[in-house]
Amino acid sequence: MSSAALLSTTSTLALVGHPNVGKSVLFHRLTGTYVNVSNYPGTTVEVSRAATRFDREAALLDTPGVLSLPGRSDDERATMRALLREELRLVVQVGDAKNPRRTLTLTALLAELGVPMVLVLNMSDEAAARGVAVDHRALAESLEVPVIPTVATGGQGVHALVDALAEAAVPAPLLRYDVDTERVIAATASLIDEIAPHPRLASRGLAILYLGGDNEVEEWLAAKTGDAFARLEQVREASATIDGESLAVVLSRERGHAADALAASLSRQEAPTRRALAQRVGALAVHRLWGWPILLGVLYAMYAFVGVLGADVLVGVVEENLFGSALNPAITGFVHAHVGLPWLVDLLVGEYGLWTMGMTYALALIFPIVTTFFLAFGVLEDSGYFSRLSVVANRLFSALGLNGRAVLPMVLGLGCVTMATLTTRILHTRRERLITTFLLALAIPCSAQLGVVMGMLGGISFQAVLVWALAVTGVLLLTGWLAGRLIRGRRIPLVTELPPMRLPVFGNVLKKTAGRLKWYLVEVIPLFLIGTFLMFILDRVGALPWLIRAGEPLVSGWLGLPPEASAAFVMGFLRRDFGATGLFAIGAQLSPLQAVVGMTTLTLFVPCIASVMMIVKEQGLRTGLLMIALIMPTAFLVGGVLNHLLRLVW
Amino acid sequence: MSPHKPERLRMTGIPAGQKVRLALLGEAIDPFQREQLHAYGLTVSSHLQVLQQQPLTVVMCDQIELALEHAVAHELWVEAL
Repeated sequence: MSSAALLSTTSTLALVGHPNVGKSVLFHRLTGTYVNVSNYPGTTVEVSRAATRFDREAALLDTPGVLSLPGRSDDERATMRALLREELRLVVQVGDAKNPRRTLTLTALLAELGVPMVLVLNMSDEAAARGVAVDHRALAESLEVPVIPTVATGGQGVHALVDALAEAAVPAPLLRYDVDTERVIAATASLIDEIAPHPRLASRGLAILYLGGDNEVEEWLAAKTGDAFARLEQVREASATIDGESLAVVLSRERGHAADALAASLSRQEAPTRRALAQRVGALAVHRLWGWPILLGVLYAMYAFVGVLGADVLVGVVEENLFGSALNPAITGFVHAHVGLPWLVDLLVGEYGLWTMGMTYALALIFPIVTTFFLAFGVLEDSGYFSRLSVVANRLFSALGLNGRAVLPMVLGLGCVTMATLTTRILHTRRERLITTFLLALAIPCSAQLGVVMGMLGGISFQAVLVWALAVTGVLLLTGWLAGRLIRGRRIPLVTELPPMRLPVFGNVLKKTAGRLKWYLVEVIPLFLIGTFLMFILDRVGALPWLIRAGEPLVSGWLGLPPEASAAFVMGFLRRDFGATGLFAIGAQLSPLQAVVGMTTLTLFVPCIASVMMIVKEQGLRTGLLMIALIMPTAFLVGGVLNHLLRLVW
Repeated sequence: MSPHKPERLRMTGIPAGQKVRLALLGEAIDPFQREQLHAYGLTVSSHLQVLQQQPLTVVMCDQIELALEHAVAHELWVEAL
């Protein structure tokens, strides 16, 4: 029977595997749907779903990578949730062909869960380049499931995978635990069979996960069993340790040993050759001395590409030549000639006009900047450099009570704080997620705002950019340090994988940039237009002048800015970058000192509406409101202190 | 004569380039991190190559480069190969 014939009668398939093994690339190959693909663990933090190309009735899930099951972080829990709650027909385990041992550790657990599966050994080209050879036919015989070598980025092996789906089977068990452990597993599995049998997953696998401390399985069992859950808890409490060792550790170690034995018998590593160029570049990026000049070089290249080419050259061309000289005069003339209502003319092309302010800010000022930023960001993402930043920055982050892993959401926040807030799921503890989310909301400017800052302050002097950067970094470190001490919980030392450095694939960078620009156009421009409309209304009803007067003691007295800057802060409530653009627009009225103070205050101002909603979704309403309540006064406090300090020396 | 027993050293004391066998995960490593290390392939008897020691310990394990903070690497006891 063909795979299509088999699958069309069924529902859902899922890609499951370790982080950074190419699941999302394979998802794109099998569905035609592009999800973000990058070269660092943790790119996917939510389950994606799409119809498959080979059978439009079947859906494929792309799940976040799991370092191990039982899952510990929120993204790993999302994968376990999919296994528990989705009507899965089969699982495609995607493994790294370079590392059969690790791949088989996960296979061992999937075998216990009794899910029909196909095993994909992806990145076979990289494995071959490193002299790793896996006898996939013998492995298939041993596991009793199809094993397909692939190179997902190039499409090799994808047809063979589709054909093999019809042969999916429950893998043969890889191991038996020692007698004591088996006794506990059997007792727990028997209890699950009695009080909460799962419609698809084997009770033995659920028992192993529950005993290993999987929170998702525990929640599922608690919900299904009600009062009877206490019996399961009793079994687990009574067997928390085996010979003085945590049962969870025993279970994971034994699976590791079984995988090790099978991998050793069916794969071989040829004599190591000299280290590849990518490995040597990767080593330099985390070198104790060379790591810092490389980081500075990367930052300077970003500045040159985004700050100079994007914010200076491209904005100059688009704003002055296209909008200033051609589009805006033409549209304004057309509106004046054809629209009879003065208020409507004002709404469209007046001082707070939808075109002259909303669209001009969004398309002429910010669009060129975010385009260059997303391109540069995509190149860095795919190179594998971001993971190495976690090593370079680990010491700095330890001062904040975090480890270098938190650098990933922080760096992603420079693209979009909203998405970065979601990425905090890769962090292992609630404490780490809370501190990182707060710092993202307070002191990480998103791409659009960063571009406006570079455009405005870069146009003044390098010194202005430096003062802004030092002020924002100082606030980030100081508040992080305080949060690290005030929020209870222990810091987890860094253990992280460094993916291979790779030459970015230009097509993938372009796809990601296009996807992000689409997000920008769909999400940001409507907000700019709404913001402009609100400003127009406030102006028409006389509230804007009132707000400007009311804000004068704070804006002019404390921050030392002209009264007109109040309007930028009103705009900043909607989006920080909108407010920053408002300040940019009155840049000619500001001294260098005022520009730095204004931009610093707006950088630390409330995050955008979308970010606030994401914070509430991830951390709860109370925490979200508390963060906003802390952020607003902090922004004005820092801005005012900076104003008074700079006046002493500048 | 008894067979030569290799000396156990802390991972942080191993020079870059040296290949080692993991002999013991120290008691100070908590269960969560122990599971994490197992998942990465750092189990007793696994063979590793130390790639660098500063700013963090970086080891090659099954063709995967892993960065370990010194607090963790210090608790890993290894034998030189």
